[in-house]
Amino acid sequence: MLESIVSSGVAIGCIYALIGVTYNVMFSASRVFSFTAGTLGMIGGVLGSLFILRTGMPIALGFVLALAGGALLGVVTEIVAVRPVLKSLDQHLYVLSTLALALIVQQYTAIEWSTEPQPFPRIFDIVRGGFDQQYWLPMLACAAVIVGLELLYRHTLVGHAFLAIAEDNYAARALGLPERGLRMASFALAGVIGALAGFAGGQLLLAFFANAPLLTFYGFVPVALGGMGNNRGAVVAGLILGLFQQSANFLVGGIFASVAVFAAFIVVLLAFPEGLAGAPVQRRV
Amino acid sequence: MPISAADPLLRIAGLSTGYGKIGVLRGIDLTVGASEVVALLGPNGAGKTTLLRAVSGLLPWSGGVHFDGRDLSGSGPRETAKAGLAHVIEGHRVFTQQSVLDNLRLAAYDLRRGERAARVEEAFGFFPEIAAKRHERAVALSGGQQQMLAVAQGLVRRPRLLMLDEPSAGLSPVLVDRVFVVVRRLRETGTAVLLVEQLIEKALALADRVYALARGAIVLEARTDEVDLPRRLEHAYFAIADR
Amino acid sequence: MTQTPTVQSRPARAAVFGAGAFAHAWPFLALLVIGLTLPLFAGGYWGVIATRACVYWVLVAGLNLMVGFAGQLAIGWVALLTLGAYTTSVLAAGNVMPALHPYLALAIAGAIGAVFGVIVGLPALRLRTFYFAITTLGFATIVTQIALAWQSVTGGGVGVPGPIFPAPFDSQWGFYYFCFGLAAICTWMTMNIAASRFGRALTAIRDAEVAAEASGIAKPALLVTVFLFSGAVAAISGGLFASLQSYITPDAFTIDLSVLFFIAILIGGRGSILGPVLGTILLTVLPEFAAPLVAWSTFLYAVLLLVIVLAMPGGIAELIDFKNRRPLQSNRAIVPRPDLLPRLLGTNRDPGTLTLEQVALSFGGVHAVDGLDLTIRPGEVHGLIGPNGSGKTTTLNVISGYYAPQSGTAKLDGVVLPALVRHTRARHRIARTFQTPRLVGEASVLDNVMIGGTIDGRGTFAESLLSLPRHRRDEAMLHETAMLALATVGLESLAAVRADRLQHSELRFVEIARGLMLRPAFLLLDEPAAGLSAEEITRLGAFLVAIAKTGTGVLLVEHHADLIFDICHHVTVLNLGKMLAAGTPAEIRSHPEVVNAYLGG
Repeated sequence: MLESIVSSGVAIGCIYALIGVTYNVMFSASRVFSFTAGTLGMIGGVLGSLFILRTGMPIALGFVLALAGGALLGVVTEIVAVRPVLKSLDQHLYVLSTLALALIVQQYTAIEWSTEPQPFPRIFDIVRGGFDQQYWLPMLACAAVIVGLELLYRHTLVGHAFLAIAEDNYAARALGLPERGLRMASFALAGVIGALAGFAGGQLLLAFFANAPLLTFYGFVPVALGGMGNNRGAVVAGLILGLFQQSANFLVGGIFASVAVFAAFIVVLLAFPEGLAGAPVQRRV
Repeated sequence: MPISAADPLLRIAGLSTGYGKIGVLRGIDLTVGASEVVALLGPNGAGKTTLLRAVSGLLPWSGGVHFDGRDLSGSGPRETAKAGLAHVIEGHRVFTQQSVLDNLRLAAYDLRRGERAARVEEAFGFFPEIAAKRHERAVALSGGQQQMLAVAQGLVRRPRLLMLDEPSAGLSPVLVDRVFVVVRRLRETGTAVLLVEQLIEKALALADRVYALARGAIVLEARTDEVDLPRRLEHAYFAIADR
Repeated sequence: MTQTPTVQSRPARAAVFGAGAFAHAWPFLALLVIGLTLPLFAGGYWGVIATRACVYWVLVAGLNLMVGFAGQLAIGWVALLTLGAYTTSVLAAGNVMPALHPYLALAIAGAIGAVFGVIVGLPALRLRTFYFAITTLGFATIVTQIALAWQSVTGGGVGVPGPIFPAPFDSQWGFYYFCFGLAAICTWMTMNIAASRFGRALTAIRDAEVAAEASGIAKPALLVTVFLFSGAVAAISGGLFASLQSYITPDAFTIDLSVLFFIAILIGGRGSILGPVLGTILLTVLPEFAAPLVAWSTFLYAVLLLVIVLAMPGGIAELIDFKNRRPLQSNRAIVPRPDLLPRLLGTNRDPGTLTLEQVALSFGGVHAVDGLDLTIRPGEVHGLIGPNGSGKTTTLNVISGYYAPQSGTAKLDGVVLPALVRHTRARHRIARTFQTPRLVGEASVLDNVMIGGTIDGRGTFAESLLSLPRHRRDEAMLHETAMLALATVGLESLAAVRADRLQHSELRFVEIARGLMLRPAFLLLDEPAAGLSAEEITRLGAFLVAIAKTGTGVLLVEHHADLIFDICHHVTVLNLGKMLAAGTPAEIRSHPEVVNAYLGG
């Protein structure tokens, strides 16, 4: 039993953590949170099922196309919902524009794909064992993303440029860095990460349009608790969330587990509005 | 070195700009010739930083700005940097979470790898103190060293015109002199410099020409070898003369 | 009000209480008439639609105050609808206790809704916008899941029957009139709030929070009040919804519904009542016309929301704001009337002295203010100058409570001013302006100035809700005082104009007028001359001198040396957070260290 809680908790926690990273990557590039992060996760699963099961493509191709779909949605988010509102004086319009875009994609999926959860293919043709691929695929994906981002940020100039934009947008612009192109690239990268989360978690979550609101919320908890833009914090918080949720599921059952998770989240967030590692907001007058 | 007035390196004519509804500069005329050091002085709030931001494309403006014969209308900081105009912004803002070397490499983002490495070394050549710290994160540098790094970032692209916004702010006199030595060297290598400064004496000692900006307009233009300059500057600052 | 032909307040008052009031009210009257006579020309099918629109509007009216006025993006507010629907149904059906009369059940649902409105809304006081939006979404999901799981009470997935209200509201049209009546009452109440100091305070919190605090508006108390009201009406709407549906199950309360409410407000336009009314009607009716596309209704709502946000953020309200499309006179000059100041500010005021004693404050190792002593006397204009980074604005922020000094105190008449309780400065009659004018762009100039007098209102939120006499007295008083304040700065002709149409220099003077509403003992100005023409600076200077003459102490933080030297009685020069010199302008101007600090070297 404990093993089951741990493996499912860590697996689902990795999915949440990856959505948290998706939020963070978009935030670092634009100082804006986008409601499309959870939708990206959903799209990864739906596209994977669509390409591999329904259209019969080879798994590797379906995988690549699912990620490409995520990248596309990420770029569309930037162009349609983020860039136009960055210029506006009202700071909070991005909440509404990204919410609208997320809903558009979710509703379209519900209508054109299905309102019921659809099966997701097995990726590796191995017998269903104890520590099954539906559990270790998300963990593998999470580890790959963390390592990949680390390599990107530390060892490539593009990664350095992303960090520069995130740290001091004005100085980066003044230095002549291609701010707009880098932002689009960041959103494309976020799209890939989100879609990967959905694809890797497809066997757990299935291809279901309602994964979008689920991931929108549970994927944000790691960000809120781990600190804005803090990917390591997101992973830690995501794992804790996953384990907590699965333990609660086991101990008190589905519905009350959700209530427990939510209540705990609210309480912790109210106590630490900037995250468990965050710094207090410095207000400028 | 006399420059033909018909084609200075940088020609600003009738520039107006501001922030949203707040107009800051009105009808600015200013030129910088190739290999000239021009100082831009003025009290706080006069609009000196705003002027640099407009020229490098960080702010929208109206009027005329020509650099190296090219019209800069609609150019953002990326285009002006590529054209050979480097803007070192106020406050020695470097990327503190990255190494000194990476800070310089970022300044050369658009260049090819080989060329980038060479230019970075060139920039280090101006400031051996920070070359020694190339692998340290910029946050570990002192304020003065960060300022040197910021100037080095401006130099990586071998600009034809380098605009410096108060490089002396917050620096000890020794470090200020260090930076100004580099500026002198630049002039000898053919780079023009537009220097916004608070330290009037040092700026006048370094520059060929000087403009004074007050209350959004140019109130004085002179060569630095003219007589009675300090008194004229003080009057321009405080607008005492007209009372 | 005496006859003063030069003060324009009479026509403006008539605008509010006379002819202009009709221009403002006729759309509502039209809706009222259409609504009352609906059964005459509409069939039963449209009656249901209309009832549904009324039920939704009851919720949206309350949510409008939260989202449209206060700017708190409570996307998951459907949680309150769910709560109200189940509470009313369960109490009326007798699942838990003996069945209650439907009216009583509805009233109890409203009370519970009020409490939960505060619970759901409370995070808004601590969290940033996106975080709060997410928490409300979480609430919405949780409430639906509880409804699903708590089978003994809610019937789980099977659901419960909705309440049936007694005659004459048990027939279809009877119930329609019941809902319509409640909708009309909610419209009236929220209109009253919109035209009250509370409504204006909410928009100030939304668009100019620091200015709201400086005007004495306490955000937590006001928001909690709004949460109570919004929660109560949302729950009541839920009870009506349950009755309309006849039978409710958890899947009737989807996020789609929450989004619908939200979009109705945004399509309608923030800060408006009429806009969201029309928005709600539009969104309720739309699926009926797009019959083959009913399954796509949420999709279409979302597209509509995106279009609104990108193309028309002001919504329907902005579209129908014909008044603000009329061009303004182009060469407007600002001509203050300092002679009116004694009438506005009163005379014989002795507030005592404002002092800073050994105040020190550092930001991350930089000594922004380093052991500063400062004394501002009433009746004097005190200038505070210094190079960039010398600590001028920081000092002003310490006095007005935005920063807490790490040592030292700020005192008024010997009494310590507590730090960080910004909104109490207004009670001490300390007013301030900001480096960039902080105003509510979408509101009229007059509304913006009236915000400055918020703390002088006596009526409570409830009294404003019901337009009781004390509320109306407050409004008349604030209106009159604000027009007078605008007259003193010479801008009364622009009173009805939307603030974001004004020039920068006019906005500066509007901010000063707002500050004068407090009849301040001390007026703190943060670089008011920035962006002003030479002529305007001269007029500003004369105006500030006149303010000081009435007994107000004026602290002027400035870069413009000429303004300082012209009008200040006393000047303090800061450098690197310390006082460099202090004295009369003549003394300062010839002080060698001052000249050096400014000219460098």
